[in-house]
Amino acid sequence: MTALERLAGLSAGHALDRLPCVPIVGNTAARVIGVRTSEIRHSAELLARAQVAAYRRFGYDVVRVFTDLYVQAEAMGAKVRVPDDETAYLQAPAISSAGEVGQLKPADPKTDGWLPTHLEAAARVAQELAGEVAVTAAVTGPFTTASFLVGAETLAKWVLREPALVHQLCELALETALRWSDVLIDAGVTPSITEPMLSSTVVSPRQFQAFGLPYLARLVGHIHARNKSVTLHICGKTQRVWSFMADSGADCLSIDNDADLAAAKGVVGDRVRLMGNVPPVAVMYEGDPAAVRQAVRTCVREAGNSPRGLVVATGCSLPTETPFTNIDAMIRAVEEIGWPPRVEDDVHA
Amino acid sequence: MSIESASESPYVRLSDAVVNMDEVKTIRLAGEFLDSGGDPAQAIELGLVDGMRRAGDLFEREEYFIPELLICSEAMYGGLRVLEPHLPRGAAERKKGTVVLGVVEGDTHDIGKNLVKIMLETAGFDVVDLGRDVAPAVFVERATAVNADIIGLSTLMTTTMSAMSEVIRLLDERKARPRIKVIVGGGPVSQQFANRIGADGYASNASTAVALARRLREGTAEVATS
Repeated sequence: MTALERLAGLSAGHALDRLPCVPIVGNTAARVIGVRTSEIRHSAELLARAQVAAYRRFGYDVVRVFTDLYVQAEAMGAKVRVPDDETAYLQAPAISSAGEVGQLKPADPKTDGWLPTHLEAAARVAQELAGEVAVTAAVTGPFTTASFLVGAETLAKWVLREPALVHQLCELALETALRWSDVLIDAGVTPSITEPMLSSTVVSPRQFQAFGLPYLARLVGHIHARNKSVTLHICGKTQRVWSFMADSGADCLSIDNDADLAAAKGVVGDRVRLMGNVPPVAVMYEGDPAAVRQAVRTCVREAGNSPRGLVVATGCSLPTETPFTNIDAMIRAVEEIGWPPRVEDDVHA
Repeated sequence: MSIESASESPYVRLSDAVVNMDEVKTIRLAGEFLDSGGDPAQAIELGLVDGMRRAGDLFEREEYFIPELLICSEAMYGGLRVLEPHLPRGAAERKKGTVVLGVVEGDTHDIGKNLVKIMLETAGFDVVDLGRDVAPAVFVERATAVNADIIGLSTLMTTTMSAMSEVIRLLDERKARPRIKVIVGGGPVSQQFANRIGADGYASNASTAVALARRLREGTAEVATS
């Protein structure tokens, strides 16, 4: 089966050869073609080549063009530090005071920051892998982008003190996300939302409802209107907001390893497909193939029979230096389980 | 929680104002307390610090989240600014030790580090905050310069985890351990990782970081007296 057939079959409830498997490969793709992470971030040709090569090397079931969370915020004025060969990080938010919010503008993905480069990269990947595998690109969610525009700590305080300003920032970030999604879809790429700042590790479920859900629902609705399905990833603890995540309309929830996949199956498994949640650091980066195999079997035991399907995935993007042997082991472990996706041994584990 | 009665002690009212995230009221109550001739050290310990501790408990029980904790800390610091200038000299006795704290080089996610700082200060530690994106050598230099008991390293990014082991290597090189303890925390970090790099402890959140720092200080004291 091709990756596309596997995903379509999972949605349709058909028998498959195995569950889809997605080790979320971001900057690790640079290692596959032997270049530095800063090179793939700033070259459409290299970013595309790295992602295609990583897909061909490992044979997973969804390609996700992603280097870091900041590309949209950067296009709106946030300062991003791009180390030569490590993941980029936020150097300074776009603004530092309430008075400056009015100066911000949504980004134009055709001209601003590195969005044109990432768009071209995603378009190239989609073209090259058309008919074979779903090609997605990361869309950073409105609340998370808002945190990069004004700084996470300021945003957290404004949630309680200046809610109107938070909404204003989320509107601006949403407009950027809508435009970014549109050009991606035009290029044959499926937007994939990541919204780590809405984690219950950061904000309360009520704050999620007030400042996250309305914008996510509009973003998901917009993408649905263009006939694309949407995966929503939120890092960290999410158990208390799973139902809100499903309320956003997202078709698939990507669950971090900080959260319990079996519980997720019970709470929202009948509403959305689940994706998760092999620990990316403790198992994929620091562990060995045997640990990876165990973690995969645990995921499948917990949620392999989730009503709307399970994609065996990592709980978050992989660290850049994740050993290739562990990524191989993850896919091998899913193949070993095969179909039906049942794990009954490991009583000793 | 915000109900108050005249019979409540001024400490409870201060503590409540902090938990209720009311900076203006905390500052007003602190001023009134001073006017009435109360002991500022008591107001800090039984009022402000108590309130922040309660906020920390609510955070651990997931009733409060980062926004609430940050606003509570603003109320606490607001009250401290009123009361501290009135402390008698030498009142720094409540200090439990000195912690040099920072986000390691290659990362600027500092909310977690800031929460740890707030809770450590609440617990009576002196905190030297080196900020974010801090090079390993800077941790070691500053910790040596201020005669720190503990270095706290934070990160949310896997790419920077090697910088944590570099700090430990530099400390070992200077034979500064075990006198200076190293504690680590942040999203990708685990007890397993802490063990592997030879750190003295790992904490999964700000409250446990305080408990860990206390334990390490007590451990040191035991060694010193035995």
